[in-house]
Amino acid sequence: MPITTTRRRLLAGSVATLALPAFARAQGAAKPRLTVISQWSAGSDGAAITALGKKFEEKGGVWQHSPVPGFTTEMMNKLRAQIMAGDPPACSQLKGPEIAAWSKIAPTVDLDAVVAAAGYEKVVAPDLAKLHKPGGKWIALPLQIYSTNMLFLSKRAMDKAKADKIPVTWAEFNDLAEKMKAGGVAYPVANGGTRPDDGQKFEAALAGISPLAYRAAIMNLEKKALEGPEIKAAFAQVRKIADWMDPNVGAQHFSTNLKRFIDGDMGMMIMGGWAQGVLRNAGFKLEDFTIAPGPSDNGKPVFLLNADAFIFWQRKDADLQAGQTLMAQLVMDPAIQTMYSQITGSIPVRTDVDLSGEGWSEGQRTTAKALKDAIASNQAVLSMAHNMAQENGMTAAMIDVITEYVKNKTIKPEQAATRLAEAVEGSR
Amino acid sequence: MSNAAAMRPGRSALPEWVRRLPEYLMIWVPLLLSAAHLISFSLWTIWISFTPSTLVPVTGWVGLRNYSAVAASRNWQIAFDNLLLFGISFVVLSAATGLVLAILLDQRIRGENVLRSIFLYPLAVSFVVTGTVWSWLLNPGLGIQKLVHDLGWSSFRFDWLIDRDMAIWTIVIAAIWQSSGFAMALFLAGLRSVDGDIVKAAQIDGAGPVRMYRRIILPSLWPITITVIVIQLQFAISTFDLVRALTNGGPGIATQLPALVVYDLMFQRSLLGRGAAAAVLMLLILLAVLLPYAAWRYHQRRRATHA
Repeated sequence: MPITTTRRRLLAGSVATLALPAFARAQGAAKPRLTVISQWSAGSDGAAITALGKKFEEKGGVWQHSPVPGFTTEMMNKLRAQIMAGDPPACSQLKGPEIAAWSKIAPTVDLDAVVAAAGYEKVVAPDLAKLHKPGGKWIALPLQIYSTNMLFLSKRAMDKAKADKIPVTWAEFNDLAEKMKAGGVAYPVANGGTRPDDGQKFEAALAGISPLAYRAAIMNLEKKALEGPEIKAAFAQVRKIADWMDPNVGAQHFSTNLKRFIDGDMGMMIMGGWAQGVLRNAGFKLEDFTIAPGPSDNGKPVFLLNADAFIFWQRKDADLQAGQTLMAQLVMDPAIQTMYSQITGSIPVRTDVDLSGEGWSEGQRTTAKALKDAIASNQAVLSMAHNMAQENGMTAAMIDVITEYVKNKTIKPEQAATRLAEAVEGSR
Repeated sequence: MSNAAAMRPGRSALPEWVRRLPEYLMIWVPLLLSAAHLISFSLWTIWISFTPSTLVPVTGWVGLRNYSAVAASRNWQIAFDNLLLFGISFVVLSAATGLVLAILLDQRIRGENVLRSIFLYPLAVSFVVTGTVWSWLLNPGLGIQKLVHDLGWSSFRFDWLIDRDMAIWTIVIAAIWQSSGFAMALFLAGLRSVDGDIVKAAQIDGAGPVRMYRRIILPSLWPITITVIVIQLQFAISTFDLVRALTNGGPGIATQLPALVVYDLMFQRSLLGRGAAAAVLMLLILLAVLLPYAAWRYHQRRRATHA
């Protein structure tokens, strides 16, 4: 049967030809390749991840980033679809307790060896480290840190209030707000009207009143703490803040009011460190505002952590695996973290990066110092409003109560505290 | 008919179904495909609503637990109350506005085409744009209230957008602005199709314009009114983008609507099972509107054939 032989040979030949490149790739040191999904497509976020990609390519890798612009949830939908199709990206953006939740639906990469080789664990805040090793093994790596409770002070509003002392405790904050009001500042507290905005006011209040109560009630969901006096005190403080805010903001983004803040029409802003980048991009001068750690009644800085991270999904392809190792090394590298944070306005995850040099702003230095001090006094806690303390479902249930309380002044602090405890029970 | 058949004797030899095959293919293939699409995803959602799915769909059976959790949640209760208020007021007011506009346009006025385009134009704008524009207009610090203040009337208040009790009306306003033009177009077509002879007969009998509208023209419009109401109602039930851009459910959670709750549960809270349960509840509300409508249509047709 000569024909059959030929056919068979032909078939074998073509299979070999097809398989050869793959074989060669697997045999030689695979050229690192990385498929990445994130929501960072534009602005400083887009610029930062593009710069990271350049570094990846400089090290000989192939960078395949698919940004999903819009809300984080959109990025998650894409990730969910790819995981369900059995084709997860080698690496994707994900943060907080969602890392643990998502790691249950698809296998992740064990990064322990790479992390140990870089000696990374020593230089990461303990609570943050825990989030990235849900089963005791590192499966994700934090990339950059923001604090959600930085206090921004408008220079012009301070002049109107004839004040120059930065408030440290909530009592001092309240005094300053009164002075600003008396001095002609229309709204002593600048704000937006979005859900995370309202959540941030509450978490800043509670963590500032008692970081211990915050840890017990919000991070550990202890029933006793949720019914404790600190929660009521925090809601009472939030009511004061709400009374100083401009009620007209509707559902606007906080950045809408930045000009009024700089002009001294609004006085203080409790916002994440990212506001600094927004202010700078909007063309405002750094000397028009001051950044300080958010109010803390025991005088030591409280740091509400928000950290972006990458999670690594298990892939069989040798080139993707090599890419994952390279990416992990890059993300932990102090030089890369410096580059990244200098673009976005965050601070590095590593607590051993020196921020005294050029390229860092005073606000970033203040934030980094606050983090160091907060870790030393065990007052670095995880942000609820930005989905670091609880999974999304629990966070949303809590923010429902908070946002309704901020907007409805007939709800009493005691009622709000009861509702918060009930909402937590209902979503367990 | 018989003429055409006589002219093409070769054609008539083919059996009826073969000749009409292209027509069947044109209608039935897309219809079956979209029906299969719709039904399979609806069944899938119904199935998910009985499972403990969270991040991804999983198998398992939790009975009605997702439903009771959704029904007991404050978000859903607020959304349901809002839907009743929004649905009824929006449908009634937009139909009324559309009818008034149509009657005014029907007076053989000059520039009718221009006016008609202007009133219809909002329909061409996406709901997100409508929501965003109205969120600025209605914002007391930026829009209408500020304008009136700047004109000198400083005690004027129009702050519904940030008032918990009134915020739902801002959605009604924006929705009416968007879709009363659509109601107008349908009513106008209805007005134009009123039998001219009857109108003339009424005129000869000495009926004035008010009486003519009340006794003759409006009664003949009521099948169109029902159509307008049903179309607007199913829009009201599935409203999502408009509220999301206008109030995003706020202030607080005062303007939640069912579609927002479904999206929130499924994609923001990653509770697929509960989100699916909420979606099925929405479907039931829709059926509560559409089934009586279908029954009414069936009844009408039967009456027409018997008459």
